[in-house]
Amino acid sequence: MTDARRPQGNKLSEAEAIEKAKQGDPEAFEFLYNLHKRRVYSLCLRMTGNTASAEDLTQEAFLQLFRKIGTFRGESAFSTWLHRMAVNVVLMQLRKKGLPLVPIDETTEGDEEGVVRKEPGAPDERLTGSIDRLQLQRAVDELPPGYRTIFVLHDVEGYEHNEIADLVGCSIGNSKSQLHKARIKLRDLLRANRPERAGKR
Amino acid sequence: MNCLQFENALPEYLEGSRTAEQQAHLNACTSCSTLLADLDLISTQAASLRELEDPSPRVWNALEIQLRREGLIRRPETQATGGFFSRWRTAWLVPVAAALAIVAGVKLYQPARVGDIQPTAKVSPAPAKARPAVATPAIAPEDKDIMSTVASRPPAQVAAYRNDLDQANAFIRDAQEAVRNNPNDIYSQQLLINAYEQKQMLYRLALDETENNDEQ
Repeated sequence: MTDARRPQGNKLSEAEAIEKAKQGDPEAFEFLYNLHKRRVYSLCLRMTGNTASAEDLTQEAFLQLFRKIGTFRGESAFSTWLHRMAVNVVLMQLRKKGLPLVPIDETTEGDEEGVVRKEPGAPDERLTGSIDRLQLQRAVDELPPGYRTIFVLHDVEGYEHNEIADLVGCSIGNSKSQLHKARIKLRDLLRANRPERAGKR
Repeated sequence: MNCLQFENALPEYLEGSRTAEQQAHLNACTSCSTLLADLDLISTQAASLRELEDPSPRVWNALEIQLRREGLIRRPETQATGGFFSRWRTAWLVPVAAALAIVAGVKLYQPARVGDIQPTAKVSPAPAKARPAVATPAIAPEDKDIMSTVASRPPAQVAAYRNDLDQANAFIRDAQEAVRNNPNDIYSQQLLINAYEQKQMLYRLALDETENNDEQ
């Protein structure tokens, strides 16, 4: 994850900032916040799809972290610790709202017959080279919450299925299955929102 | 193997569990090979969404206020840096002291009401020795309205508020100079933001309490 960085004009590393933050140093807190805010906020935004919620959850994640910073002993990377805390904060919020963390069955029409729809004579148009980050971002925002959770945790944030299973309270098999469905759904969204279908490869 | 069978086995295929039969189907089926390529593209491009945007400054502002309320941010035992940053390290206590003075004054009048600011045991008004002596300059034009707002308070409160406002303005001037001298220094920039926000908090506190009084 994020490497320790030193801000311009001030000799402070992440490890030093952590020790200073334990003593209540305001600059140290701010340094740690600036170092990790983008990653945490982006995670919250991807998982909630809502700017205001993401900001509130970002604040809450850092608040919980800073409350416990006195107990941090460096056994794991600070960023890992923070990231896991942020994920838990988001998942707790989703649970409170009653949103499914893992879909039981969010099938779309036609799934029973398979995704690969054969249209005789119609060329299969790949997405390759025709999606950009903004398109993908929008498509992720359109995913149902359960699919979005699994996709963001696995493909965006890099969690393994056993970790996801632990976090959201599902089986590893369910995590794999829902990830696959999430990717299929994303493919459908990207193909539907493609500006031109001009037979590009 | 048909397309439906291949698709059902895709999750395992993508995890690395592949059979010759699946590979043979892929080689022969354009639709399935296209599907696989698309899913692979989506998966690999997903990491580009990892770090996209910064939150708005209000997140840090709210966080900092809460950290101070809980006493997690406190005066450091030693000051590792000298000069400008050292001088204004405790500047935060200025508006907090003003806030406590204002809230305390309101509580005397309205003992049943709970102020917005909840002073904690770890945050105490800045002792007199920590407040640098400030010669009383003229009221800045932009501050005349707010001083009129607090003019009806007890004289001691007004004087304390005036002193804290002057200190906040001095903080802003020093921070502006630091940014002029080091325009690319992120800490100077952040300190200027903090300076403005402290003044903003002074204004907000005065206005909030004035509204509380007006409602009586």
